[in-house]
Amino acid sequence: MGFMQKVFRRSPWLYRINAGSCNGCDVELATTACIPRYDVERLGCQYCGSPKHADIVLITGPLTARVKDKVLRLWEEIPDPKVTVAVGICPISGGVFRDGLPIEGPLDRWLPIDVNVQGCPPRPQAIIEGIAKAIEVWSDRQ
Amino acid sequence: MPDNILTLLFAVLVFPGGLFALAFGLILRGLDRRAVARMQRRVGPPLIQPFIDILKLMGKRTMVPEGSNTFVFLWAPVVAVAAMAVAAAMIPIAGFYRPSADLGDMLVLLYLVTVPAVVLMLAGSASGSPFGAIGFSREMAIMLAYEGPLLLAVVAVAMVAGHHLGQPIALSLADIVAVQRQQGAFILDPMLWPALLAYLSFIPANLGFSPFDIPEAESEVLEGPLLEYSGPALGLLKLASALKSVVVIGLGIALFCPIGPSGGAGLLVWALQCAVVTVCGVSLAKAALGRMRIDQAVLFYLKWPELLGIAGLVLAVANL
Repeated sequence: MGFMQKVFRRSPWLYRINAGSCNGCDVELATTACIPRYDVERLGCQYCGSPKHADIVLITGPLTARVKDKVLRLWEEIPDPKVTVAVGICPISGGVFRDGLPIEGPLDRWLPIDVNVQGCPPRPQAIIEGIAKAIEVWSDRQ
Repeated sequence: MPDNILTLLFAVLVFPGGLFALAFGLILRGLDRRAVARMQRRVGPPLIQPFIDILKLMGKRTMVPEGSNTFVFLWAPVVAVAAMAVAAAMIPIAGFYRPSADLGDMLVLLYLVTVPAVVLMLAGSASGSPFGAIGFSREMAIMLAYEGPLLLAVVAVAMVAGHHLGQPIALSLADIVAVQRQQGAFILDPMLWPALLAYLSFIPANLGFSPFDIPEAESEVLEGPLLEYSGPALGLLKLASALKSVVVIGLGIALFCPIGPSGGAGLLVWALQCAVVTVCGVSLAKAALGRMRIDQAVLFYLKWPELLGIAGLVLAVANL
């Protein structure tokens, strides 16, 4: 593993996109960062406010028709190589909203998903595991 | 004289500006993140996390947004880093480093300290993003509010030091430090405590830390002026802000508490003082307080630190 690859593995910046989520997964994401027991900052992660700073993108929600274009546009703004993580059951299959009229998901109809984190909402441990896997994928892409 | 120029270049590029200040600023940044994490009972990132982040940003690519002013967009971060490297070379380290008078006096330093804020405004408006424009206006508002307390505190100290020297006002930081090493540090003089408080309250706003990180708020304006930056350009802006924390904290120490012994121990004491100010002055507020609104922050600065600054100036002058 080269020097830069080691550096990259220790500084993944995270960006959150809410694709029509019920907010449950977003609360869990905030928990993952802020609650002492979970703390993703010790992996070098940092939630960033701008899509242009991001390395790993976490998407929650079933992708409703209203936000579809915005989510796709935001996703485009994130520089390559990026890793996309689907957080919660909604972006994976639609979850309880599966056959709803306004649902355009599942997300992998539109975007390549690299890591799936199941759960409704997923536990913080699961999210951290997902992020750790995303870091693996990401460093392979450098 | 070529000798002199080489010395000045060394001061600006290697020690205490340039490389040394960069490394020290990044360590202070890491210490701050670690301290905040510990205050929230988290583990926190390693101390060298800021170095890793900067290296990573240097390994990425800078994207220039469509509709931006490319020249200003790409050169603004370079200007900020250069200004801060020069400013860091002008900060005396008690007992260890005395800045050359050729670098300029305190007036030059005060102008240089405002450069990163101006650069942030330029960068925000050059990026062509509406969030950058909001960041621009917020940065300008808060800058107008916090410059007052800074100037009042500095003038109070300069007048007291000038009185000891038999001048109306002492504008050389090296002289101010020399006076304090003879007469005792100004931090021990109760008449200067209001000025000290005004200076301390100016630090978080100038460094863009919570509760005054309003221009760069992630959740409201997507980091404002930094929104469109990526890769090395963003890395340079982060470096400039790390340098700025050394400059601003170092200036505070030179103004109020330059007590280090002579020689290498002086450098060590100075570094410890910087670390204490970072943890007690910056990290504590960051961990304890949420972000203010821009109007609250401006009102706060125009009320309390400004009042403290005026009181400090009046006390200092009345006591001469």
